[in-house]
Amino acid sequence: MVEMILCGRGGQGIVFLTRQIGQMAAAKGLNVISSETHGMAVRGGSINSHLRIGPFFSPLIRQGHADFLVSLDASETANNRHFLKSGGLIIENSPLPDEPQIRRIDASAIARRLGRVQLENVVLIGFASTVDGFPVSGEELRSQFAKDPREAIRTMNLRALEAGRGGR
Amino acid sequence: MTKETSTDVRFLMGNEAIGRGVIEAGCGVAAAYPGTPSSEVLESLVRWKKELGHPVYLEWSINEKVAFEVAYGASLAGARSMAAMKMVGLNVASDAVMSAAYLGVRGGLVVVVADDPGPHSSQTEQDSRFFAWFAKIPVLDPGTPAEALQMTRKAFDLSEKYQVPVLLRPCLRVCHARQDVHLGTPLPVAGVGPFEKNWTRWAAIPKFRLVLHGELNEKLERIRQEEPDARPQLIRRGRGDGLAVITSGSVSSHVRDVIATDERLDEADLYKVDLPFPAHAEALQEIADNHAATLVMEETYPVLELQIRDRRKVTGRLSGHVPPQGELIPELVEDIIGKAAGREPAARSAPSVKPRRPSLCAGCPHRPAFYMIRQIFDDAVYTGDIGCYTLGINMGAVDTCLCMGASVGMAGGFARVAAPEGQTRVVATIGDSTFYHAGVPALINAVHTRAPFVLVIMDNSVTAMTGGQPTPANDYLADGSPGEPVDMERLVRGCGVDFVEIVDPYDYSGMKQTLEKARAFTFEAGQGVSVVIARRPCVRMPNVELPSERFEISSERCDLCMTCVRDLECPAIHYVKGEKRMEIDVDLCAGCGFCVEMCPSQAIELKGA
Repeated sequence: MVEMILCGRGGQGIVFLTRQIGQMAAAKGLNVISSETHGMAVRGGSINSHLRIGPFFSPLIRQGHADFLVSLDASETANNRHFLKSGGLIIENSPLPDEPQIRRIDASAIARRLGRVQLENVVLIGFASTVDGFPVSGEELRSQFAKDPREAIRTMNLRALEAGRGGR
Repeated sequence: MTKETSTDVRFLMGNEAIGRGVIEAGCGVAAAYPGTPSSEVLESLVRWKKELGHPVYLEWSINEKVAFEVAYGASLAGARSMAAMKMVGLNVASDAVMSAAYLGVRGGLVVVVADDPGPHSSQTEQDSRFFAWFAKIPVLDPGTPAEALQMTRKAFDLSEKYQVPVLLRPCLRVCHARQDVHLGTPLPVAGVGPFEKNWTRWAAIPKFRLVLHGELNEKLERIRQEEPDARPQLIRRGRGDGLAVITSGSVSSHVRDVIATDERLDEADLYKVDLPFPAHAEALQEIADNHAATLVMEETYPVLELQIRDRRKVTGRLSGHVPPQGELIPELVEDIIGKAAGREPAARSAPSVKPRRPSLCAGCPHRPAFYMIRQIFDDAVYTGDIGCYTLGINMGAVDTCLCMGASVGMAGGFARVAAPEGQTRVVATIGDSTFYHAGVPALINAVHTRAPFVLVIMDNSVTAMTGGQPTPANDYLADGSPGEPVDMERLVRGCGVDFVEIVDPYDYSGMKQTLEKARAFTFEAGQGVSVVIARRPCVRMPNVELPSERFEISSERCDLCMTCVRDLECPAIHYVKGEKRMEIDVDLCAGCGFCVEMCPSQAIELKGA
């Protein structure tokens, strides 16, 4: 059982990441349920997704229950920190150094170097896949992104994934 | 929806699961008007249709009433049909739905109505199950995406069996949840045979309506007695006579998880009702009678609770044990059930920061339009409407927001009441899709009554807020097949408006001059309503190419007046605190360049120029 919050600003690709992880879990035969933000809030507002792998019915994680908080925007982390259980791990897009219980990567800078800041979500999930206990592996992400029929997007995503896994 | 899985399990959004259920039930006609959280039902049908080569006819209708009427017509013609909308859309469709309940249906007719407890993206928290009760039609209430697929199929069967429209009421937490869902085999598209004329039934005058009302009551009684889903199902056995929890729909999933993960709640019996109206009241009463205490947990009105006649041992929304407003999130569910089991609520820490407010996108054509409206009509009351452009509130350019189309209707009322000195003008703003949906009759009314106001139609060529669905102005339909575009300008002229001008909101001086002309026409010459169509495509649409120019702010010329932040409210421009200067975020900037002409200090220039 893994419970995970993904957060950021509307437009950063939170929903995309949530779907990718959910699809990979479902393809492995796991029970998975998630919740997405849509509507007005996605116009640049604060948004989050909940993702739960295990025998759950509810798509929402209770406060103090999440194993991971994946944050695409450091200023949104505090909005969602209360979902994390004690001992849970934050994986954050930020140029700052790691702290206890917080692993960081400057995904925006890496994505910008790759030519598109919009790739920051893929960089971050690549990085997250190197973290112990994270429910998807680099190999699974690779084969997931390799399925995209749009060649340009597939290539960019795979590059961003490896850049995130390499931490640069 | 992913296509790569060879098995029949997919990670589907609730709305996609409902779309799948519609296909699996052999539906022939489906119509909808977009609205969060319902929009993906028809969107997914477009993809299912394509993937399966399915013959279902799909349309984004002009509004929910028409969507229901299209579905109803198809049902009378013999096909299984569906209409999808959000709950406030059901208000728009209500005239047709109420009457159709009496007349009944032929082919199975399912109305998918998505509710939004919270509310997250809506004007109200109304409970469409309660509406179903009011309209006297059965309603199914799914708790998860997987359940939603099954209930959709069931809804068609019920509708055809009892010849009554059936409402499927998913809440947002079902619509926008995703889950591993097992797909079934689609039934062939079948009909119940061609329409047979019978005016006493299908065009019934009042005396026959009385008979039909009696028949409807008999149908409901049969459903109540005979359908297993109208009875509470025991889904978790506890002590049998202590605490009973009766639940339904989306909140049932939170209830199940809370009870399953708390051994102190082992003694609770958990019941779920899939068909909360017409529920088997006697079975509900029996639970209440046989338990020391019964707690009813449902979203958002006390529909099941009200069907229990003797509520002396029952708690819920009516008793005040469940809050009368707001979404029942899992933490709240945990506290309420815990309290019913005799425990104190757990202490929790709230988030320490305020969530970021939503804002019009950088480059959104609505932003310069609102900016110029404020410049030209600085003393006006701004009646607003429903869509992305409701966010004009951030710019002080939207003062009212009631419901679809109300900007135009309410402007007619504001214009009739004397305003304080110097505050006599009314400017209404409405989006293109909302104008087609409900603005047209109000505009005709304004023309006919010579109502003095300016109407700005913010025309971005799509229904943007809900994800870019086509409007009647587009030359294609929901599934991409060709449609006949209904020209906005001709439509406005056809409403009787003499002043109609189209302008690009990115064009600073063009927008300024056009609004000045409208002001002169309506307020100075007193010639009645004027309409300005501010037209430029939504920047989020995939086929829209954004300008590649980027801009920077000269710190020498910038005097930190904050006009760009306060009045233009551009999310790409921000104040750099430590350095006391303004900065344009090149990642966010869409290159519209409006700020260059807007800046009072002329401090914004082409980057690297």
